[in-house]
Amino acid sequence: MNIFSNIKLWWTSLYRVWRRELYLVFTDPGVMLFFFALPTVYPIVYTLIYNPELVREIPVVVVDSSRTAASREFTRTVNQTEAINVIGYAANLNEAREAMNSHECFGIMEIPADYAERLGRGEQAIVPFYSEMSLLIRYRSFVSALTDVQIATGARVQGEVLDAGGLITQAKAMQGSPINSEANFMGDPTQGFASFVIPGIIVLILQQSLILGITMLAGGIHERSRRNRGVDPMLIDDAPVSSFIMGKTLCYLTLYVPLAYYTLCLVPDMFSLPHVGDYMEYISYILPMLVATSMLGICLGVFVTERESSMLVIVFTSVIFLFLSGLTWPRYAMSPFWTLVGDLVPATWGMEGFIRLNGDHASVYQQTDGYLKMWGLTLLYFIGAWFLVRNYFKLQRSARLRNGNKTVAATLGD
Amino acid sequence: MKLLWNSIMRGCRLLVSRKIYFVMMVIVPVLSTIFFVDLMKEGLPLQAPTAVVDEDHSSMSRSITRALGASQMVAVDYKVESFHDAIDKVRSGRIFGFFYIPANFEQETVAGRTPTLSYYTNMTYYVPGTLSFKGFKTVAVTVTGGVVQTTLVSNGIDSGLAGALLQPVVIQDHPIGNPWLNYSIYLCNSFVPGLLALLVMLVTVYTIADEMKRGTSIEWLRESGGSMTVALAGKLIPQTLIFTVIGLFIQAVLYGFSHFPMNCPAWHVWLGVFMLVIACQAFAVTVVEILPNLRIALSIVSLTGILSFSITGFSFPVQSMYGGVGIFSYLIPLRYYFLIYVDQALNGIPLYYSRYYYIALAVFTLVPLLGLKRLKKQCLKPVYIP
Repeated sequence: MNIFSNIKLWWTSLYRVWRRELYLVFTDPGVMLFFFALPTVYPIVYTLIYNPELVREIPVVVVDSSRTAASREFTRTVNQTEAINVIGYAANLNEAREAMNSHECFGIMEIPADYAERLGRGEQAIVPFYSEMSLLIRYRSFVSALTDVQIATGARVQGEVLDAGGLITQAKAMQGSPINSEANFMGDPTQGFASFVIPGIIVLILQQSLILGITMLAGGIHERSRRNRGVDPMLIDDAPVSSFIMGKTLCYLTLYVPLAYYTLCLVPDMFSLPHVGDYMEYISYILPMLVATSMLGICLGVFVTERESSMLVIVFTSVIFLFLSGLTWPRYAMSPFWTLVGDLVPATWGMEGFIRLNGDHASVYQQTDGYLKMWGLTLLYFIGAWFLVRNYFKLQRSARLRNGNKTVAATLGD
Repeated sequence: MKLLWNSIMRGCRLLVSRKIYFVMMVIVPVLSTIFFVDLMKEGLPLQAPTAVVDEDHSSMSRSITRALGASQMVAVDYKVESFHDAIDKVRSGRIFGFFYIPANFEQETVAGRTPTLSYYTNMTYYVPGTLSFKGFKTVAVTVTGGVVQTTLVSNGIDSGLAGALLQPVVIQDHPIGNPWLNYSIYLCNSFVPGLLALLVMLVTVYTIADEMKRGTSIEWLRESGGSMTVALAGKLIPQTLIFTVIGLFIQAVLYGFSHFPMNCPAWHVWLGVFMLVIACQAFAVTVVEILPNLRIALSIVSLTGILSFSITGFSFPVQSMYGGVGIFSYLIPLRYYFLIYVDQALNGIPLYYSRYYYIALAVFTLVPLLGLKRLKKQCLKPVYIP
């Protein structure tokens, strides 16, 4: 056999594997559900859950022991913030706690009896605020609203005291502030929850749906083999191992490159999430993730011996991968071991890079690190898949010999 | 009674017949618990990597840089020379924000020309973004306060009064139950039981519908004397036991080993996790009764299991969701376990206030009784649709 016929064999098997895999995908409703329904419907469901973006009008009860014009004014200011809705007054802390225990409010503000007096004397008045801590997002909204109230009320009182004291004009001119400070939020300027979480989630959905589909296909191979005395009639096992892996990968890419347009471009558009890059940038960055994920799926598939058990062993990993990616718990605070484990998941890099391309207007060039790591993973999982598939081919061939070559393959046609 | 015992024995034999059950019921939940607790053992991811752009190079700008360096929230990892460099570092992911001190900052401050300090935070990552915002804001406020105080004192105002004038009103926030703002307490207590609930539902569906796939469901019913209730009880009681023990293990790791807040008698949460396991099993049985097909039923419980991490309102409150979306949270057992945890372990309020949550979990266990007949019919004529 000369080198040219080898090359020809490689390419023809690539084509045959690609075509056979497409046929297997489109004749399997379970796989279709993972490959098409999951990446199209899930992002929409997720975004619908988080789409209100901000936590507004959280019910709060006020215990006003001061009962003065100043304290009422203060309560009104608090009530006017976006985050807080004062639902009523309680006579004392016990009554307020009762309201909190009955889940009527999530915060209690206690204005002390000497509130107005201290302000009048030019002393500092302290107002305790008790926050329920089941959800950090509520606490965060409380704190940022209250900080604004504190600064605004402070400036007003300061002006009043300086006025009343008839203090020197220069000091008066200084009230306001001698230095402006300006906070700029990048990527997610509204600080909405959907805008933060969805760009990461959609990338993870791409990876997980791909792995689920591939492992279910692999489960199908095992089930067909069991029914046919160890031989899968649909398997093209005369293909060179590398072209077999490439052909399968090519099939998944054929489906996922267009799908990525929907998931990465249309979904953020539909819900007006932060979205500044364009598809060509996204796909050139996400492509190695899709390739690495396909190879990873082929590796994992060897261990999935039943179509349905793919769900059992893959579904829960989504939660683990979500945490490893650093979206909820930043990667700089992880131990080296977990960082390394996270490094091995293609979506970790996919999410990091995509979030910056999508939200921070970064260029693909600025994501060189993640981009190269994803190609590295591709290589790693390709080698893994190569050994696993070669081994599997051997098993299939020996089974075929055992059966004396009377397979049903011929009847199925190619 | 003998029938039930036989059925239970059959259920036990099933669990030891394949490795996958041991993996899904013991290995995965135990390792995941260790994963979550160990991953976030620091509690709060302080020291977010940031940068300072100092275009002023004055003594004042250097003292601001030192103040940032001393901040608990942020770490000044880079001192860059231009705004452009800083943005580049944000976009390549090396920092989560930067503090910008413009040229002539000290000069303009002293001259009273009100210069602007600006800080930039990358909010695409919530926690580091928020932390660096907090750190930057504190430093900006302190710097401003220092200048105001100096001016007031130099104008002859008593320094004590000047101090009070800077901040006439202080709102002290008291985070009840989690004063350390520990992120791990908040995430582990919701995600680990959530994972357990997901696994319970997956395994329950798998063990029941797999009998139908393999066509062994007829034999399964026959061995239980033709009673669907006995058959289900025999299959599920061993799993209930194992999952409850795993649930107690999770609580031991969270409240014992990690010392997370546990402000109620322990049996309140023990009961909670036991009822969560049963409610999830019941939920899964109901799904199989409605859709007696292994693949579709598994897809449905996977969907609910994964979505329940979002829709039960661990991270975004149900009260703020759209009404039409939020209402689904009440259909998920995990939601009630979460509320029990919040009321009992975190807030330590009397059991009375959580009564409805326990009742809700109990109601879940009764729902599958409605579909037993249908399930029996399906078991007698098992059809496998791939």
